Amino acid sequence: MSTQASTSGSVNEARGRSNVSAEDVEDSKTHFRVCRFIIETGVKLGMRSVPMATACVLYHRFFQSASLQVYEPYLVAMSAIYLAGKVEEQHLRTRDIINVCHRYFHPESEPLELDGKFWELRDSIVQCELLILRQLNFQVSFEHPHKYLLHYLLSVRSLLNRHAWSRTPIAETALAVLKDSYHGSVCVLHKPQHLALTSLYLALQTYGVQLPRGELEWWQVVCADITKAQIETIMSELLQLYDMEAKCT
Amino acid sequence: MERDLLRQSVSYHGESLLSLLKCEQSENPDFKHVAAELSKTLNQREEGSTVLEQFIARKADLLFAPTWKTSTPADEWQEESGEAYAIMPPLEQFMEVTFEERRELFYRDVERGDLVIGRINSVREFGLFVTLLCTAGGLERDIEDLEIKALCPLRDVPSTGNHDDPLSYYQIGDLIRAGVKDIDRYHEKLTLSLYSSSLAPHLDKVKLGVISKEDLPLHYIRGEKVASDSSETYEKLLESSLGLSNPLNVDYLLGKLGISDTQTPSLMRGLQSKHFKEDDFATAIRKKQSVSWALKCVKTGVDHFKSGRYVEAMNEYNKALEIDTNNVEALVARGALYANKGSLVKAIDDFELALENCPTHRNAKKYLCQTLVERGGQLEEEEKLVTAEGLYKRAIALDDTFQEAAEALEKLQIHIQKSLKLKEQEAAKEQEKTKTVETSAEKLRKILKEEKRMKKKRKRSTSSSTSSDTSSTTSDDSPSTSRKKSKKRKHKRRRSSHGSKKHKRRVSSCSDKTAEEEWFPAPANTSASYIDQKQSISKLLSEGEPSWGKSQHEDGRGRLDDAIDRSLENLKHEASRLGRSDVNGQAKDRHRSSSTSECARRDSSSSNQSEYSQKSDRYSKEFSAQGRKRSESERRGNGKMDRAERNSRNQDDSRRSSGGTLKKELPSNLLDIFSQIAEFEKEKKLKK
Repeated sequence: MSTQASTSGSVNEARGRSNVSAEDVEDSKTHFRVCRFIIETGVKLGMRSVPMATACVLYHRFFQSASLQVYEPYLVAMSAIYLAGKVEEQHLRTRDIINVCHRYFHPESEPLELDGKFWELRDSIVQCELLILRQLNFQVSFEHPHKYLLHYLLSVRSLLNRHAWSRTPIAETALAVLKDSYHGSVCVLHKPQHLALTSLYLALQTYGVQLPRGELEWWQVVCADITKAQIETIMSELLQLYDMEAKCT
Repeated sequence: MERDLLRQSVSYHGESLLSLLKCEQSENPDFKHVAAELSKTLNQREEGSTVLEQFIARKADLLFAPTWKTSTPADEWQEESGEAYAIMPPLEQFMEVTFEERRELFYRDVERGDLVIGRINSVREFGLFVTLLCTAGGLERDIEDLEIKALCPLRDVPSTGNHDDPLSYYQIGDLIRAGVKDIDRYHEKLTLSLYSSSLAPHLDKVKLGVISKEDLPLHYIRGEKVASDSSETYEKLLESSLGLSNPLNVDYLLGKLGISDTQTPSLMRGLQSKHFKEDDFATAIRKKQSVSWALKCVKTGVDHFKSGRYVEAMNEYNKALEIDTNNVEALVARGALYANKGSLVKAIDDFELALENCPTHRNAKKYLCQTLVERGGQLEEEEKLVTAEGLYKRAIALDDTFQEAAEALEKLQIHIQKSLKLKEQEAAKEQEKTKTVETSAEKLRKILKEEKRMKKKRKRSTSSSTSSDTSSTTSDDSPSTSRKKSKKRKHKRRRSSHGSKKHKRRVSSCSDKTAEEEWFPAPANTSASYIDQKQSISKLLSEGEPSWGKSQHEDGRGRLDDAIDRSLENLKHEASRLGRSDVNGQAKDRHRSSSTSECARRDSSSSNQSEYSQKSDRYSKEFSAQGRKRSESERRGNGKMDRAERNSRNQDDSRRSSGGTLKKELPSNLLDIFSQIAEFEKEKKLKK
């Protein structure tokens, strides 16, 4: 997991640290929009958090090695949703995916008829699914930050007074930040434990919650190999996504 | 906006946050209320992160909204059995929080009703002294080395019930689980209790008292392992734990924290739930799509139906129902197809289902009424009169302008009444055999009821449709009252004789009809008129008999054999007697047989075409004769209990009960019976 993250990190570095080209900016905007599309569709399909995360990760990983010029991102997104449902055991019907996506692009339209065009759409999703699999060397199961985050939440909860916990929406904020992190490639650039930790850290900082400290800080205990600087970096990347929203939508 | 939260946040971050908040949330009315309170002297944090503060300021309306907190705490705490997730030792332990701090935190956070586990270190007369080992039931702290001592007073130790000293049950070194009854935070003193009532409501299922080492909470056991092995870090422990690899741990933990997985919150503006329309969701679109696809199939199906291609039509309808189960149009069309083909029951099911889904569907209602009436007709022919009545009533309830249904219902109701009366007659017959004396009061009551009924029947008879029914109603009166009584009294008898044949009822249904015909006019049928048609009748009788008589033979015999009731034994007895055609035996027998012959005679006078009804007429006359006799006897026997009356009544009963069985015997007795017609005629004339 960490090796993959570092290689993709190095790819970014190779592109040029300080000056990110205009192309990249445009690309990241497109990716943002498409990920927004994935998450919205996921909500409408009733997808759980983990399959939705898998879909986004599949999308990001696909376009790490593929080019936006060659492949239609929205089609890749739809196939990613379909594939993620299969991988994470929340099977979605192509009919539902096509229905929701069609309505996304043509708001207030009538549902599609079961005609030739429908079958063609379905075929294209299935074909693209195979394409994604091949592009990713069939490595499609990922470790997600969610379970780590939830365990960390329980541990931190034990440190707090129960009343303080019940009135502070730490869990909701941390989960929201984690969910929103899938709009960008930050989700594939870092270890899931680090991402989970950072979301929790961010949530605690937001509400000004002060945890007891011993020899070690709580986050040092939870993740031995992380430094404060790393946390800060990831945090800033997460927060940048919220700025992007204003630019893209 | 949550004031306390906001205050907490602002005091943590300092002045910079406040200024940013004012800038970003200037339009927010909720913020304005709170803003004033916040502008107190604030210290500025050194390592303040502008980016974070900017984020907080921008999203403050979401972050501090009262509705942001969606989690609901779980109601019942359960000991974690099996590892749905990784249970970790208290974080305090890993963090190496100082002794003082831990002690402070413990006394700050422990509350009445919490669970604690400790070891007994001394037993005194006034209670137990316990050194706490760990907490349980939600609160997870590392307190073993804090050596917190607590007292469990004597009154909070439940007695074991042997009248022994309850404290003798406990020994030094025992591990006990207790509830915190009282806390003195200032003096740092804890009082425990071993009664379940001391626990918080969500913990009250937990067993208190002595426990073994296996019952110690997992987080404590793991904590011990960590304490002994310094290389064991949180991470390592987590990774090696089984619960982490449980694929469902995310769902479980979200449930534990009380957060829904399909509606997780988001801080992105575009993903707020208010922007999602119900119609855009997958299930809604699918439903609409299914309906339109199913309708297309139904349309093609209807085309097939109209061209007569029923098989294709059925296929199309089934396809439509597969696409969209309970599609109203498809169900109605399929029901119509079933009804056309004759599978009325299936048709009715389909129409009902269609009406359930859409109660105002005109065609469904119409077709359902028609099919119900048709089915009712079928059932009538099968003698399932009550069920048929139910169907007609339903049809009328659905559509009260449906003329056919109303008519059919009336006809049927009369049928049913007749059959009921006949049943009553039989039951009464059996019952009266055992009955000793009928008091005069009862007789009077009967007569009064009769008269009432006669009046009612007269009124009804004027409105009834068939001509034959007019006369039929009147003769109902006489036997009805007695029948009613006997009906109520001798349900059991009737039920047991219920088994004895359909043909009985069949007989009775038509019997009443024709019996009533004969009531008023003097019996016009002379032996002469009968003799003319004797041949035809005997032919008819002999034809009909073997077909259904035989089956009923077996049925009746079998059922009779099963009956325990005395009346049924009598029946059998009589039947066998009849079978022997012991004509010369008693007047009883003669009466019986002659009455049957009379019925046979009456048969000729009736104008029914069907063989079935003719046969039943025969029996009906028999019953009518009985009925007449009965009423006569009742009228006559005012205050007197005639032996003759009783005899005649008994005879009636026996006749009625043996009426069904008689049919069995007829083929053999026909000629005998015919020969006694003249005899009976004479007797009748005498009586009159």
